[in-house]
Amino acid sequence: MTTLRTPDPPVAPVAPARVRRRERPGGRRRKSQPEAFAFLAPWLLGAVALTVGPMVVSLYLSFTDYDLFTTPKWVGFGNFAHMFTGDDRYLQSVEVTLIYVLVSVPLKLTVSLLVAMLLNTRRGGTGFYRAAFYAPSLLGASVAAALVWRALFMGGGPVNEVLAFLGWHTPSWVDDPRFSLASIVLLGVWQFGAPMVIFLAGLKQIPAELHEAAAIDGAGAFRRFRHITLPVLSPVIFFNLVMEAIHAFQAFTPAFVIGGGRGGPADADLFYTLYLFEVGFQDFRMGYASAMAWVLLVVIAIVTAIVFRTAKLWVFYDDAEARK
Amino acid sequence: MGRTTVRRTRGRGAAALAVVVPLLLTGVAACGSGSGGGGAATITFVWWGSEGRANLTQKAVELFQQKNPDIKVQTSFSAYAAYWEKLATQTAGGKPPDVLNVDSRYLAEYGGRNVLADLNSGAGKAISLADVNPELAATGVYQGKRYAVPWAQNTPAMIYDPAAFTAAGADPAKGLTWDQYAEAARKAGTAGSARGVTDFGILDTTLEIWLRQQGKQFYTSDGKLGFTADDLRRYWELASKFRDTKAASPADVTASYNTSPEQSPLGKKLTSSEFAYDNLLPAYRKANGKPLNVAPYPSGANGGTGQYRRPSMFLAVAARSRQQEAAAKLVDFLINDPEVGRIVGTDRGLAPNLKVRAQLAGEAKGNDKTLYDYEAALEPKLGAAPPVPPKGAGAIQKLLQRTYEEVAFGRMSIDDAVSRFMTEAEKGLS
Repeated sequence: MTTLRTPDPPVAPVAPARVRRRERPGGRRRKSQPEAFAFLAPWLLGAVALTVGPMVVSLYLSFTDYDLFTTPKWVGFGNFAHMFTGDDRYLQSVEVTLIYVLVSVPLKLTVSLLVAMLLNTRRGGTGFYRAAFYAPSLLGASVAAALVWRALFMGGGPVNEVLAFLGWHTPSWVDDPRFSLASIVLLGVWQFGAPMVIFLAGLKQIPAELHEAAAIDGAGAFRRFRHITLPVLSPVIFFNLVMEAIHAFQAFTPAFVIGGGRGGPADADLFYTLYLFEVGFQDFRMGYASAMAWVLLVVIAIVTAIVFRTAKLWVFYDDAEARK
Repeated sequence: MGRTTVRRTRGRGAAALAVVVPLLLTGVAACGSGSGGGGAATITFVWWGSEGRANLTQKAVELFQQKNPDIKVQTSFSAYAAYWEKLATQTAGGKPPDVLNVDSRYLAEYGGRNVLADLNSGAGKAISLADVNPELAATGVYQGKRYAVPWAQNTPAMIYDPAAFTAAGADPAKGLTWDQYAEAARKAGTAGSARGVTDFGILDTTLEIWLRQQGKQFYTSDGKLGFTADDLRRYWELASKFRDTKAASPADVTASYNTSPEQSPLGKKLTSSEFAYDNLLPAYRKANGKPLNVAPYPSGANGGTGQYRRPSMFLAVAARSRQQEAAAKLVDFLINDPEVGRIVGTDRGLAPNLKVRAQLAGEAKGNDKTLYDYEAALEPKLGAAPPVPPKGAGAIQKLLQRTYEEVAFGRMSIDDAVSRFMTEAEKGLS
């Protein structure tokens, strides 16, 4: 195996004073460069060939009418224009995805924080409960979990039967456009283990003295939660919010499996990525699919940037407090 | 998987690049391993279907390898929808399988884009169609080129529970009119827990047969829709009448329909009849558990059933295949060898080779016999097959299902759904 060799950069003569200041780190950097690149090479090759390269190609394809089989033809911004002017299903997929993000993310964060607080006590069996609540998120976006979900919520499935027993006769949840998206949101919320574990770690960091002092001052449980737990936990909430929002935008497997591989009844589960997949691999419009992928990338970047911007208003860091 | 999917989707076009670049850099590409030296040829062969079909097909392939020891066949199979996704990916990556199954809905897509070899020339000439019904053989020809040969013949059919329909005072096997069928399905649907029929408003096959009964067609030979908005409106009004009288399945049951008999409303005992293909009868019997039977479509205005000799599945050879001769040999073997006919039975439909079919018909038992008898009785009434559906036909079925679901769930009027279908279909086919 050959390695990528990068010639050492020319070393400019520098003034003695500056040499002394930068001597150790500078010297070390220069000496270890070839070795560093040797160790970096496999990753660098992978990143260029498997990530950067394909991304560049897909950016190019997003301006073409590539159909997988024949040579792509340049169509300029045609794909992007079509999305917002001539494609009702695209707008439907945007709507479904936005609803999913706006409903499932806050719900999931709320549930995971509440459960984390319940589990942050020293009562018997918390170890078991932590494992039990975390397990569903280990399944992640697996096909198996989605299949089980479909079986649970379909016509004549357990959920149907139980509700019917309680006197509420529902149609098949997964096959009725009124309930179908809700069942997918539920699946997403049910897999709250990952943010819960992070919340637990954050809760452990809150000094017990803060709560004790506040309690002595007469603050009730809600006030302590509002004025101690939430502010101290805000960096963790921020992290979870960003991660879960990005995840939610890219949700695919549950919608694919529960929606029968076609976007569900009357397109009720037509998630963005699902439509992208369908356009690319079933309708052979890979150029359009590439354009859709780039729009998604940009939207996620914008949403993340907005969350970061607003973070100044509600996220409190220890060091920021110290600097005041 | 969400994240990887997006990345993978974006990267598909560069997949080849992604594989080649590291190889070049490490100097491996030069030795070119895996091209399989020596005189022996290795070909890949893919199809869609179930485990059971795979076992039968594998046996046929093993027989081929015994008779052609210098050819090695690597096989793989997937379910219908996954099959097309995988095939599209492999084809885009420049490595399509040598021998593949094609559906008439996708023949124009792949043939018209030069993915499939023209079997009228080159190695394809070795494939004999001498004993295949000429009308059936013609279904593999698109724009003058033979991109595929039919592997089996089936015909659209109604699969039904005889007990339920006898109780409702009707015998579909003797042939019904649509009115008689509506009445019987209504009686069957209100009598028991199962509705009379799976709502057929979502099915392109049933729409096609119904159109043929009025002397129209689904697609014209130049690749446009062969029917008007008014035709579709009348078809959906017919289906809605079935649904409103509780003859047809309710919307959420209809929406659970997918192409596999096991997952379909009839297979799950939620209805007593369903429009499908005759060769699926054994799978439906197994899923439903009752002694189901197969019957012709209800007859239309002109008294005919509108049915035709349908190529249930095509065999094709990839244009890029480097082993075209071996590939053609396998195709010829699969459609003409009498032993293969015996092995694969009626799983995909009737044998395409008429001599083989006649021999098998004589020996048939059980499910096979039911199908041979059904098709033999129908044979004189079968019409000519329609022209090859145009590019985009695969998406039309999904469009029909989607828009009709809006009607069935009461979210859209029939008129609105019809105009949406017509607009999107014309856009998709242009």
